[in-house]
Amino acid sequence: MRSPLRSATPVGLVALLALSGCGFSGEEGGAARAADREQRIVVDNFRAPVADWALESDAAYILSLSGCLETLTRYDEAAGEIVPALATEWEQVSPLEWEFTLREGVRFQDGTALTADAVVTSLRTVLDAEVPARAFSPAVVSGVEAVDERTVRITTPSESPLVPYRLASVNTGVLAPAAFEGGSVDPFGHCTGPFTPVSEQPKQSLTVDRNEDYWGGEVQLAGAEVRFITDGATRATQVQTGEADVSLSIPAANVAALEADSAVEVLKAESPRTATLYMNNGRAPFDDVDFRKAVRSALDLDALAASVYEGAALPATGPFAPSEPWATEGAEAPQQDADAAKELLAAAGYTAERPLEIIAIVERAEFADVATVIQENLKSVGVPVTITTKEYAAVEPDLLAGDYDMVLSQRNRLIDIADPIGFLTADYTCEGTYNLSHFCDEDYDRLVAQAAGTADTEQRYELYARAGEILEEQAVNVWLVNEQAVDAVRADLQNHRQDPLSRYVLRAETTKPAS
Amino acid sequence: MTAFLARRTATLGITVLLASFVVFLIPYVTPGDPVRKIIRSRVAGEVIDDSVAQALAADLGLQDPLMMQYLRWLGRLLGGDMGLSYASRTPVAEQVLPALAVTLSLVVMTLGAAAAVSVVLGVVAALQEGRAADRVITTVTQAFIAVPEYWLAPVLVLVFALNLSLLPSAGWSGPSSAVLPVAVLALRPTSYFTSAVREGVLDALGAEHVVAARARGLGRVRTLRRHVLPNGLLPLTTLVAVWFAGLLGGSVIVEVVFAIPGMGRLLYDAVRNSDIPLAQGGVVVVVGLAVLLTTAADLVHGLLNPRLRGRRA
Repeated sequence: MRSPLRSATPVGLVALLALSGCGFSGEEGGAARAADREQRIVVDNFRAPVADWALESDAAYILSLSGCLETLTRYDEAAGEIVPALATEWEQVSPLEWEFTLREGVRFQDGTALTADAVVTSLRTVLDAEVPARAFSPAVVSGVEAVDERTVRITTPSESPLVPYRLASVNTGVLAPAAFEGGSVDPFGHCTGPFTPVSEQPKQSLTVDRNEDYWGGEVQLAGAEVRFITDGATRATQVQTGEADVSLSIPAANVAALEADSAVEVLKAESPRTATLYMNNGRAPFDDVDFRKAVRSALDLDALAASVYEGAALPATGPFAPSEPWATEGAEAPQQDADAAKELLAAAGYTAERPLEIIAIVERAEFADVATVIQENLKSVGVPVTITTKEYAAVEPDLLAGDYDMVLSQRNRLIDIADPIGFLTADYTCEGTYNLSHFCDEDYDRLVAQAAGTADTEQRYELYARAGEILEEQAVNVWLVNEQAVDAVRADLQNHRQDPLSRYVLRAETTKPAS
Repeated sequence: MTAFLARRTATLGITVLLASFVVFLIPYVTPGDPVRKIIRSRVAGEVIDDSVAQALAADLGLQDPLMMQYLRWLGRLLGGDMGLSYASRTPVAEQVLPALAVTLSLVVMTLGAAAAVSVVLGVVAALQEGRAADRVITTVTQAFIAVPEYWLAPVLVLVFALNLSLLPSAGWSGPSSAVLPVAVLALRPTSYFTSAVREGVLDALGAEHVVAARARGLGRVRTLRRHVLPNGLLPLTTLVAVWFAGLLGGSVIVEVVFAIPGMGRLLYDAVRNSDIPLAQGGVVVVVGLAVLLTTAADLVHGLLNPRLRGRRA
């Protein structure tokens, strides 16, 4: 089987375009001005590296978005599929083994060649980390070895069609062996990407210069500064003042002002995050499917999206965003129907013996308001609800132990890899490690297990869709709104493409005209 | 005086020791499992394998009795070792000291600006007691107290960075980047300082030796410089020291909004990332410095005020 995922035509390709990276800047509004190769840009990012550039940590995202760190494969936002990056092809040579052929002529920024040994050194560092990244942990990868100078073999503990997806995770980015000398990770001059990190102001910024020898073509910008600015309003201001060319993750409250500014372009894309009202299926009254459906019917998702989220999120149609290729085609958001809710409550034999509790985690400030809206909706159909706010870490043990009624939280479905298998398995199978809903259904488990072993992308996506339908039919949770990734860029920036997961921002093709 | 110094030093030591114990306990008495918080800060994602959590807890010594952990931490601290940051795995001191330097410079600029402005306003108000200038200065500076930093910061950014393009909206890269954060931080101390200077100068103006000096024909400016200001500004020394201590750890909002890599931002990030050693080290330094400063202010006050020194000694 030769590179099956490369040739596959995923279901809903067009839809996936919308899911991941539909926002482009520059050129389309008129004739592009000539690019100036001496230009440098500023990117305001919402997080700073905290783990001394350890690749298994979130620091990998910063190295990747800065145009430094590259992976063997890459999830192409435009094509909606896994495409070659540092590896040109890959093959499942046996049920438990995949081999990746490395691209020829690639050199690290320190001048050393990209070899299989170098890749193995880098990947083993991640695999052996004290706290491994879930995309590439011993649970899913059992071995990494060099077959010859240009071939890397990845061994899995069980048959997995998703290894190329795992090697697109930024946590599996490849650094030169010299980056790992001395016990810590040093990415400076040790990446392969279009930009080379040259200096760092701790907690403030990372400065990168053009990589003149980039294997992927001529890099247009002379360099960039990635600033770490945690305050969303400050990021929004900086792109308006022109201090920043790109500001990632703009808060909903700042979107209207930016949209009114002709010097700024606001880019929006559906993010794989859905705000969810988790219901404890393991205890009464939520152990009755009619009661769960009643809760769903009682809620006004349109009003919720319009009010609390100020239009920066759309009513959810189920566990997946409509544009995802594994979502059920034509699915619509449930509409509020108080009469139906009351009938379902009667069918469930519900009596308001005690107020039910909604826990709103404090890490998401908007959840307090969401909980209030839900409280009003449920009160109108005769379900009394109290609201408590708690820190997520404080409430997690209770959630996992099944000691709660309802909790407002949200999940990134593609947190590990560009495929929802991890989410569907961990969150909803009977033995799922993050099954907060305490949902258990044999048919569902069978489907997910079948999907996990299905190499054919189209078939696998169909199985995911069926799994999603079961979750919706069983009203396991109420999926409230699909959040949007909102970035803002200066209008003169050209060839910038938005990535809803903020993995790729500085690219070789990005240009800016002389100011 | 020696007894006074010894008493103050002993009090300082006990205060820092008690504070260190409270600081050490905070991460353990707040809700949530510290190990899970640490893991979440290191890797994206919510699913945490129990075996990973247990291995990390053992590695970090988090399974030992709390008192043993405290004594181990205190022993290292006394030896100048604040431990390793959980998140970055680098020595805490390497992060705390640069952040402290940034915050100290921010605080010095803030208090310098506040003191300079308040001396002028306070003296003018005192000399114009009861007149229009006094009433305006008193009313306006009192209003400063009610202006919260989280409101003032975005307003100043909106006016001076966005609309007028005069100053950068954030960052810490030169004198111009300090103007807005210093203005925000200086507002409230300016109010308190002005009031203190006004009262101090009024008291001094009414003192017998000042009245006598004036009666002897000493000029107004010389009287002010030689007899009024030295005593009139005395309350300012204690106030500056108290505000110095407060601003060291109280600049969180300003440092976050203006993206300043100081102690406030460091502590904010440390708490958000559940980086216990970093949070503990940062707070201990801030508390220690605050206690040291207030003690120093007390001593200076005592030295400058013989009556007070005599009473304490």
